[in-house]
Amino acid sequence: MKLNKISVVVVQSIFVLFAAAPLIFGFGYALLYSFGLIGVLNEGFTIVHWERLLFESNFWGTLLFSLVVALVTMGLSLFFALLVVVAWYKNLERGALSYIVYLPLAFPGVVMAFYTFQLLSKSGFLSRLLYNLGITNGLNDFPDLINDAYGIGIIFSLLLLITPFFILLYANMYRNERIQELTELASTLGAKPIQITLKVVLPVLLKKSAFTIVLFVIFVMGTYEIPLLLGRQNPSMFSPFVINKLQKFNLNDIPQAYAISILYILLIALLIGILFWKLRGLFIERATT
Amino acid sequence: MKKLNVLLLFLLSLLLVACGKSEKSPSSAQLEKLTWEQIEATASGSTVNMMMWAGDPKINAYVQNYIAPAVKEQYNIDLKTVNGQGNNIVQLLMTEKQAGKKSNIDMMWINGETFYQLRQIKGLYGPFVDRLPNSQLIDLENPFIGLDFQEPIKGMEAPWGNVQMTLIYNSEKVKQLPQTRADLLAYVKKYPGTFTFDNQFTGLTFMKALLIDIAGGKDALAGNYDAAAYKKYAPQLWSYLRDLRPYLWKKGEVFPENVAQMHQLFASGELYFTMSNNDAEVDNKINEGLFQEYARAYVPDFGTIQNSHYLGIPGNAVDKAAAMVVINFMISPEAQLKKQSPEVWGDGTVLNMDKLTESMQARFLNSTDRKFSPKRKDIQDKALMEIAPQYMINLADDFRKEIINK
Repeated sequence: MKLNKISVVVVQSIFVLFAAAPLIFGFGYALLYSFGLIGVLNEGFTIVHWERLLFESNFWGTLLFSLVVALVTMGLSLFFALLVVVAWYKNLERGALSYIVYLPLAFPGVVMAFYTFQLLSKSGFLSRLLYNLGITNGLNDFPDLINDAYGIGIIFSLLLLITPFFILLYANMYRNERIQELTELASTLGAKPIQITLKVVLPVLLKKSAFTIVLFVIFVMGTYEIPLLLGRQNPSMFSPFVINKLQKFNLNDIPQAYAISILYILLIALLIGILFWKLRGLFIERATT
Repeated sequence: MKKLNVLLLFLLSLLLVACGKSEKSPSSAQLEKLTWEQIEATASGSTVNMMMWAGDPKINAYVQNYIAPAVKEQYNIDLKTVNGQGNNIVQLLMTEKQAGKKSNIDMMWINGETFYQLRQIKGLYGPFVDRLPNSQLIDLENPFIGLDFQEPIKGMEAPWGNVQMTLIYNSEKVKQLPQTRADLLAYVKKYPGTFTFDNQFTGLTFMKALLIDIAGGKDALAGNYDAAAYKKYAPQLWSYLRDLRPYLWKKGEVFPENVAQMHQLFASGELYFTMSNNDAEVDNKINEGLFQEYARAYVPDFGTIQNSHYLGIPGNAVDKAAAMVVINFMISPEAQLKKQSPEVWGDGTVLNMDKLTESMQARFLNSTDRKFSPKRKDIQDKALMEIAPQYMINLADDFRKEIINK
């Protein structure tokens, strides 16, 4: 019992040292920097960086664009992942598909962005194919799919990265939650296939993965390399927007970059807090089963 | 309480490990009293960490396969390169300065805007250039070398190379080269979507040339930053860029994030123009196989910026003596000659030819084997000096406000 208590203290200390403390110190540093209290070029307390952030910069537009891209990406990703799992669950258990689905997980984001660029840019593979088939007359006939206003290139690239993860997640859930048995039971009770999918399979899978989905939305909102290579300067996604403030020529913009990161963290923490509260029943249920 | 002690001990040991780099090098004050021979003797056996932009395989090969073995053989110094440029250097030194710790780097490749930022944070060691024996050979009288963004270098950074911006074009597609702003506007209207500039240093350098042209050419914006001049001429620049915009690549709604992306678009045929701050870039890229042989470079009549790049030492560097020895070798005639060849890098020298021996002068003259890039003497007349750093900061901010965000 004593040994158990000591191990708990050790584990907690390690967590505080290596996970919580750096984050707390980092947050504190950013907060002080944003108010001009520390930093080589800062000259004392000021709220001017926060004023500029809230009223002059494109912060809110950037946040909205990042959120929309993340929601669309997640929506499409979930659609395809659920489609694959529901339609081809047996193929995912064995055979070629069960291996192929792991493949995109091995790609770093920057590589996926590069492949997307090679595939969808005006001088890319698809454009050349259409030109050689006589469907287009040149580069300019091919639509803007990269660095476009709607984030199509970004969404496409992220879809390729994220969808396999959710396919694997749902395939495992399908097995662990005994959905096959529930399906057969519902069928025996007279439910039609569409009813089984909408009333049994999807609710179970989505409910069980709700928090993972939220975490992925946050992850997509903060992604860097893909929007940097495939996106625009305006509207921009969140990470390139911050880096632009942090690492461009004007050193006096650095406090604003820290202010942006603080505001973003607070908003995300608030979002997670609300969702945690809303979904608390699910966690309690999971903890007791 | 016991737990707290253990925790404090652990934190302290972490701190000691982090700060544990030994310091056998002399302090800045001691260094000033040493003769050059003593500096070389002190440097022997040291390791020098050089932070540099590592985005060009030729430049990397020059430093790693030529400079590093040479300084090892001649001075017993291990030269190691670390990838990082401009803002990475500034951020690193700012953080180290705030933490009050010695630097992880001993020297770095810097350009004008970084020199300005490092001066702002008082991050440079110096003056040290006069201590280097080879500095006597540098053409410091040349304002393109002795001034960095209009600021005298005052021995705080050693000139290393000199380049001029050129516009690179597809000679099979572009038959009439735009020489003026009006020509460029006419060109983009005739060939929409084939011209743009990047959102980084190169694009800003191009915009600076346009601003100088609008202000009246060559020396119109020389000297310190003039807020009234900027206020007068910048709106004309934005107006001109707004005229160009609908005919730029992707209708000017997005700009390539860097020059490498622009080169890629040029190589794939999507753009007919790209640009480079290195006037020998076309030869480099054709040799590398990135550009095809139709690529050529020129300087329009309105001129382009010529500037130098430099080597600096952080104020908190550990091995300043060894860094000085390495820098002295990098500005030696042999190292500069090697660098000038387009096969190696194609970087212009900062040495004054009149100060070299006749045989060395002849070797420099015979080494320029550019095939596709313009000869330096042919573009020198159109060279514009870098303008004060505040212009660049304002251009970067206002480009976002006036063009990108509108």
